[in-house]
Amino acid sequence: MSVCRPAQCLLTKAASTTLPRRPPQRAFHASAPQQGRKKRPHYPSIKADDLKLLTQAAEAEYPIYDITETRLLAKKYTRSQIAAIKAAESIIDARDVLTQGQRRTDSWRLNYEDDLAEVDPVTDRPERLTGDDIKGPKTFTEANEVERDENISRLATENLAKIYPNGLPENESAIQSAMDAAITQATLDPRATYTSKNPRALKALGDERHSIIAPDLPRVENRMARQARRLSTEEVDDPRQKRLLQYMGWDKLKLRSIRVKTLVSHGVVNQTRMGKIRSNYFLTIAGNQDGLLGVGEGKSVEPEEGRKQSVMSAIRNMRPVPRYENRTTFGDLERKVGATKVQLFSRPPGFGLRVQHLIFEIARVAGLQDLSAKTPRSRNKMNVIKATWEALTNQKLPDEIARARGKKLVDVRKVYYGGSVH
Amino acid sequence: MSLVNLAHVCSHLQNASKARLGLTSIPVSKMHVKLALGLQREGFLSSVTLGGPAPPKPFLLQAQQDPEQLEVMAHKLAEEPWLAYPVGEKTKPPLGQEQVHEVHVPENPARRRLWLGLKYWQNEPVLRYMKLVSKPTRRIWLTSEDLGKITRTRESSYVKGLTHPGECMFVTTDRGVLEARECVERRVGGMALCRVW
Repeated sequence: MSVCRPAQCLLTKAASTTLPRRPPQRAFHASAPQQGRKKRPHYPSIKADDLKLLTQAAEAEYPIYDITETRLLAKKYTRSQIAAIKAAESIIDARDVLTQGQRRTDSWRLNYEDDLAEVDPVTDRPERLTGDDIKGPKTFTEANEVERDENISRLATENLAKIYPNGLPENESAIQSAMDAAITQATLDPRATYTSKNPRALKALGDERHSIIAPDLPRVENRMARQARRLSTEEVDDPRQKRLLQYMGWDKLKLRSIRVKTLVSHGVVNQTRMGKIRSNYFLTIAGNQDGLLGVGEGKSVEPEEGRKQSVMSAIRNMRPVPRYENRTTFGDLERKVGATKVQLFSRPPGFGLRVQHLIFEIARVAGLQDLSAKTPRSRNKMNVIKATWEALTNQKLPDEIARARGKKLVDVRKVYYGGSVH
Repeated sequence: MSLVNLAHVCSHLQNASKARLGLTSIPVSKMHVKLALGLQREGFLSSVTLGGPAPPKPFLLQAQQDPEQLEVMAHKLAEEPWLAYPVGEKTKPPLGQEQVHEVHVPENPARRRLWLGLKYWQNEPVLRYMKLVSKPTRRIWLTSEDLGKITRTRESSYVKGLTHPGECMFVTTDRGVLEARECVERRVGGMALCRVW
């Protein structure tokens, strides 16, 4: 190294060595020093041409009132009000309104473009009129046959005119059906059956504002409404659900009262020579919260399909759970599935469900209220659920035990103290 | 006496129930006999018979009264039910001579066996669990108060309560082998033998 350096000095240009060097700046940081940020003005500098364009746009959006408009304003407002409006207009620059003014985006804004000058049928209440609004006598008499026929023909013509404002169609059958509809409507109209000397009262009969029946809700036409709308005919019938209902002999209402909960879901893989096939496994419990409990499993490549499978099989597998006083089990139960052992203990009233979460869900769905449990061995979720289900549904009832032993058995709880034990 | 034989009896009865046997035998001892009779009283066993190595004749193969005679007896009993308990031995029994079945019991006590009839109900054994409470190395004596707690499903003296539906515990007392509830009724304590359900 010490040999090389003089050689390098010889080969380099003389100028570079002779130039005065910048004194070395001491670096306090390992990273390279950042260049000082260029000063930017607080306000963007707008060119005169841009400003002119802006002014033109503002004038187009918010034009100055011309003479016809001021005349219209004069009809509505007093002179002092017009002066105030003009003062406000002159103070607020149209350019500022254009650049700074913005549409409301908050959730309380109206969902339609409105200056609230008209009544909206959805948001605004319908106008109601009472008998006090009718001037003159409010007595009606039943129309005789001649009057009635006359009224019906008049009203039918009116209805036809409403149905076809642009003239009757060419089609014969269409005319016939329209005529029938119009006449039926006219016959049902109260103006056909009643007459009054007071034309205002007669008019009130046909006025919707006097009707106690609320007008039909308007058909809202937007994307959300179109997606949410569903007719009973359009409702898709799940074939699996249909089959389940047939199997159980139920209707849809009863199916809706069944509580269903998916407690276990995970992916499983089938290894074939083609490769791995992934699918989803679901374990669902179902119950009516009144002593029926079912557990169902489902597996499919499609998650939703597997879940549905498990739900349907859970409902199909529902079996009765005997409950003591509709709240707890008959004595202690124990069941072993695989390496999982579940011990269920019956408990006094008001004890609650002091059990682990899976057994809690099962007990709630089955309608048990007082229970405690232990899972002393393996706590595999699927096996815990299956063991609990089997334990609850395979209980031995005291009546059966007594019958098997040939003994007489009487439950004396709630017999003494007038049955006033909790 | 050691409780080892009793432990064997408990296991054997559980196994025999699982195997759905109708009749099984256990070695004879005074305690076994008393316990077997207690089990029969509680309805776990259908029959308790002392016999030899060969099982006694089953009930259906035993000689029985002919049907006409049975009908006459039933008629008589319906009218005068007290005839079922005849008074005095010298008078002729009103219902006819009782059928007595001879069972061969060996002279040698070592060859005697106690034959127990097991019960089943709706394809399920009536006796499915039988375990010792006292162990050969650790006897447990219970007072009537302890037994009261135990029969009310509470733990007492390190003995778990009778919480399973239809659970029974047999206790050997100075009044013989009794069920725990019977002990509470009679206010006697004793050594806990086994629990059954």
